[in-house]
Amino acid sequence: MFGIEIFTKTKYKDSRGEHVLSDINSSGVSKGVKKVKYCSLYIVDGNLSLNEIRMIASCLLSDNITEGYKITKYGSKNSKSYLNNIFVSKAMIEVVYKKGVTDTVSSSVVKAVKDLGINKDIKVKTGHRYYLSGKLSKTILDTIACKLLSNTLIQEYKIKSVK
Amino acid sequence: MKKVKVLILRTAGTNCDLETQNAFELCGASVERLHINFLVNNKNKILDYDILAFPGGFSYGDDIASGKILANEIKNKLGSQVKKFALSSRPIIGICNGFQVLVKMGLLPESELCDQKSTLSYNDSNKFECRWVYLKTEQKSSCIWTKNLPSVINLPVAHSEGKFIPKDKELLSKLNKGNQVVFRYSTKDGKEPKYPLCPNGSAENIAGICNKKGNIFGLMPHPERYIFPLQHPRRESSGSEYGWGKIIFQNAVNAVK
Amino acid sequence: MKSVVDCNVVEILNLSDKQLVSLSKKNVLSLSLAEMKAVQEYFKKLKRNPTDVEMETIAQTWSEHCKHKTLTGIIEYIQIKNGKKTKKTYNSLLKETIFKATVELNKKWCLSVFKDNAGIIDFDLKNGVAFKVETHNHPSALEPYGGSATGIGGVVRDILGVGLGAKPLANTDVFCFGDPTTKPSKVPKGVHHPKRIIKGVVSGVRDYGNRMGIPTVNGSVYFDHDYMANPLVFCGTMGVIPKNKIEKKVSPGDLILVVGGRTGRDGIHGATFSSVQLDQGSDVSAVQIGNPIVEKKVLDTMLSARDLNLYRAVTDCGAGGLSSAIGELGQKTGAVVCLDKVPLKYDGLYPWEIWISEAQERMVFAVPPKNKKKIVEIFKKENVEAVFIGQFTKDKKLVLKYDKNTVANIDMSFLHDGIPKPTRKAECKIKEEKLQKTVKLTSSELLMVLKKSLADLNVCSKEWIIRQYDHEVLGQTIIKPLQGNNIEISGPGDAAVIFPYAVIKGTKKGIVLSNGLNPSYGKINTYKMAASAIEEALRNAVCVGGNIEKLAILDNFCWGNPNKPEILGSLVCSANACYEMSKAFSVPFISGKDSLHNEYSIGDKKLSISPVLLISAVGVIENVANTITMPFKNSGNKVYILGITRNELGGSVISKIKNIKDGIVPNVYPKESVPIMKGIYKAIGKGLIESCHDASEGGLAVAVSEMSFSSGYGVNINIDYIKTADTMSAAEILFSESNGRFVVEVAPNNENRFKKIFKGLSVSEVGCVSDNKFVIFESQKEKVKFKEKLINLINSWKNTISW
Repeated sequence: MFGIEIFTKTKYKDSRGEHVLSDINSSGVSKGVKKVKYCSLYIVDGNLSLNEIRMIASCLLSDNITEGYKITKYGSKNSKSYLNNIFVSKAMIEVVYKKGVTDTVSSSVVKAVKDLGINKDIKVKTGHRYYLSGKLSKTILDTIACKLLSNTLIQEYKIKSVK
Repeated sequence: MKKVKVLILRTAGTNCDLETQNAFELCGASVERLHINFLVNNKNKILDYDILAFPGGFSYGDDIASGKILANEIKNKLGSQVKKFALSSRPIIGICNGFQVLVKMGLLPESELCDQKSTLSYNDSNKFECRWVYLKTEQKSSCIWTKNLPSVINLPVAHSEGKFIPKDKELLSKLNKGNQVVFRYSTKDGKEPKYPLCPNGSAENIAGICNKKGNIFGLMPHPERYIFPLQHPRRESSGSEYGWGKIIFQNAVNAVK
Repeated sequence: MKSVVDCNVVEILNLSDKQLVSLSKKNVLSLSLAEMKAVQEYFKKLKRNPTDVEMETIAQTWSEHCKHKTLTGIIEYIQIKNGKKTKKTYNSLLKETIFKATVELNKKWCLSVFKDNAGIIDFDLKNGVAFKVETHNHPSALEPYGGSATGIGGVVRDILGVGLGAKPLANTDVFCFGDPTTKPSKVPKGVHHPKRIIKGVVSGVRDYGNRMGIPTVNGSVYFDHDYMANPLVFCGTMGVIPKNKIEKKVSPGDLILVVGGRTGRDGIHGATFSSVQLDQGSDVSAVQIGNPIVEKKVLDTMLSARDLNLYRAVTDCGAGGLSSAIGELGQKTGAVVCLDKVPLKYDGLYPWEIWISEAQERMVFAVPPKNKKKIVEIFKKENVEAVFIGQFTKDKKLVLKYDKNTVANIDMSFLHDGIPKPTRKAECKIKEEKLQKTVKLTSSELLMVLKKSLADLNVCSKEWIIRQYDHEVLGQTIIKPLQGNNIEISGPGDAAVIFPYAVIKGTKKGIVLSNGLNPSYGKINTYKMAASAIEEALRNAVCVGGNIEKLAILDNFCWGNPNKPEILGSLVCSANACYEMSKAFSVPFISGKDSLHNEYSIGDKKLSISPVLLISAVGVIENVANTITMPFKNSGNKVYILGITRNELGGSVISKIKNIKDGIVPNVYPKESVPIMKGIYKAIGKGLIESCHDASEGGLAVAVSEMSFSSGYGVNINIDYIKTADTMSAAEILFSESNGRFVVEVAPNNENRFKKIFKGLSVSEVGCVSDNKFVIFESQKEKVKFKEKLINLINSWKNTISW
């Protein structure tokens, strides 16, 4: 399983990240968050070669002017580095749909991958990643994740510390 | 006089095809709206037409990014036919989602290359913006679609990904020098606008561009929504019984007559 | 894909009353004891226990959402007014009030009322206009984005499923939310913050409506902390339908075709759930997520199948899913359905889950066997999934099969008519309203109240919402939700007008859409709330050029728990208002919907909403050129007020701002209003009115200010010239919210002809439009005068909601 993360290149405006930051600030949840970077996340499962994954990331999922991509192995290992409730300066919140919840973008990606000429059965899950920096703790991040970034009725989130 | 034949390409999520058809028909053209599945199965059908239009909407829900999936699909399945059509100097227009498709498949701004050199990204406001704007028309533009327009016109926009970003400064100056910039968002007097008169934060307030030859035109505003004065917020006309949007379609129809 | 073949028999024959009640609760059936006993009785006759599929089918069909059993049940009503009691028993409230008015009015231009998925009125020789408004409250409270999106998706399907299918042309949206400035600590546990709900709901409507390519053209938002835990989301869709496609009739032998989205576990128990009070442990699978592109593809394809006459009937899968859709279509015939043929999103569904799932974007068609191939071909061409799952029969039985095993076999007649009529008690005490102590304000206080009124959540600009909706797609929105003389500024339009030139070639006609909503009045008097909502909806339509003789209305009741006599009583009271006003204005109801049980409990604290009646109006305009907007058009023009201002501050914006305790809630005077409304239609048709705006929340002061700042022109108003019914102070005149009033602008050269039309009616010239950029109000009698720059008024109005 691969995780493809799409980010806005630094020289371009990340309006979605800025919007989340202003939401956090105006919600009164925390005053410690200084910056939010938004990334979209595609979790792709199927018998794909690394080349094919690269092609999907570069030709389909990212915009080659304003966006870049990062491919990682996606699996249970990721959930290991949970935060303690001490302050950290950087963290990532990942939000994905719970199993069984309709993921409309996913079916579009499956179609579009076929259009690329990759005729393989794949499964796609979509999600969001928010990279936050500032004065953060597990409590703050949990509150942000629950109150602003996800609805735990249909989505689940993970919090990871990042370097 | 021959009847000008227009092809409006549609797919899942296309939704401005009907009013675009009406606009062309009002200009005396005969119009067919065909689904991409049909065209993929009848590849050379495209070449039967005089004008090709990519209408507005949310092709495939604008999932991943606006126009992206349709741009890829056309490129991979109909690329050579569309390119052939473009190089034969026949008029092509991409409106809103259609513009996003043209840019993302690389038919604009350099149709010869068919390589994505610019993009339409998220509005600075991070919001969908539905409003009327002032557009300054670049009088020197080589675009065949925008002849006979006054220096400033009104059209409505409705998009959340309309911020035009060229790959680099060289491309931007090339567009300027080559008279490929067709419309810029402006104030009422054609001056530099601020948000919301520039609804998206485009580079140099660019709202529409064409290729070097001027036959391929892409724009975020919706000319098909200003065919009659009644559609204008103040019911202004273009000095005739029509709105300025109609003149744009008329230009292309006249050009191939 | 495979489903689990488990179909269980539910032991019911030998259960005691107590056990029946607990079974209903345990399985979320939401059936009362009387209903459970009727089921028991039926299966005793069949000498067997029901299967789970049968129990679920009955529960869905008999749910409040599908059957409206409160409004069609027996109600013993007592009204207490000035200590006097009057009693009345209704056998069906709906039939004896709202529907009765429609029957008595008997308008020839009403083509289909209260029987299909939407009401239909006459448009022209060949076409009708269909309109429907629905609520999607509970899902929107739990998942604001998905809830409102599927609300829109659902009501659009109602329009696709009316007759043989109408083409949707416009959406409307009305919301009631909690106060977005609520401190997070004041939000009850398990409830989303109002701002989050607002953002989610607006995004949901935006993404679904915009992607469907249907403009969202009209709406209203009302804020009150009553709606914090239980927001109200009303979604409406208007469409056009050829007159020869209005009737649908299933023939035995027709094949059952399910088209569009796949079936998953989404929204299981949505229909019964909507009759259950919300609590924190609400069922997860009740939440549905929509996919607008799937529905768009269905829309694109089904209308071409319609025009080729390939099917005999269609309806949408809404609450209750396939169970309701096929149950309804096959009511008079009978049906056999093979549940294993239904396309699924994933494995593992029980047969009963397939049958009642509320997965979105599904339509059911009745197809004559000879068209089998052709119709599937049409859907297939554009990648729309279409699968035959059964057949309509003539034995009047509902038979469900799974892998050749019969999992349900019940009589249609029991399913549809077997439900025992409940008897409910209702009581309404009409509160006595007292005139407030005279409100006298100084000039600067008056200005302060004006600015605070403009900034009030219920008056302020909703531009942040409106511009996120594509309100111009299809290019037919000729009277837009925001109206201004410059692109840079705009004021709030009263109603929207659609000019369907792209769909009905060569037409000159238009369709007006408007709404009326006054929850603040309902807290005091639900009769007046209902009457005011009706008048306001009509008034709004008249402002842009609507003809009151060609308007029809829809009702949407959102109420608390109807098992409480005082809550049901307030509903009966407003239903009576609906009857009387519909008759008095000669405006028929053509469709409606109710959402009851809008209650929410946290711990032992019970929150319940203030009742809301939304009235939505639709009408045909003969010539779209004869429509106008609300900004002033030119300096030197005269300002007139039509209608009488009364001392009616009850439930008003000023009473909230100045904390005024008493006050009379605005009443409705049809005998005064009808001739004025007819006069305005006539005057607009003759080009005698330049602009028109209704006085509602915030009264005349707000209405005049809005006309002024959206135009860029100033205005001078002499308060002493405003016609009043009682002796009133300047503050009361300016901020009273009396119904039936219009502010109109008339060019000097049209004045004589204008006055002639309104001869004998209450009309007063109160000021003129000026070149300077000030709004000025003055009373020599009271020696008050205030003056404010347009830009400051705009800012007061615009800055409340700008996120």
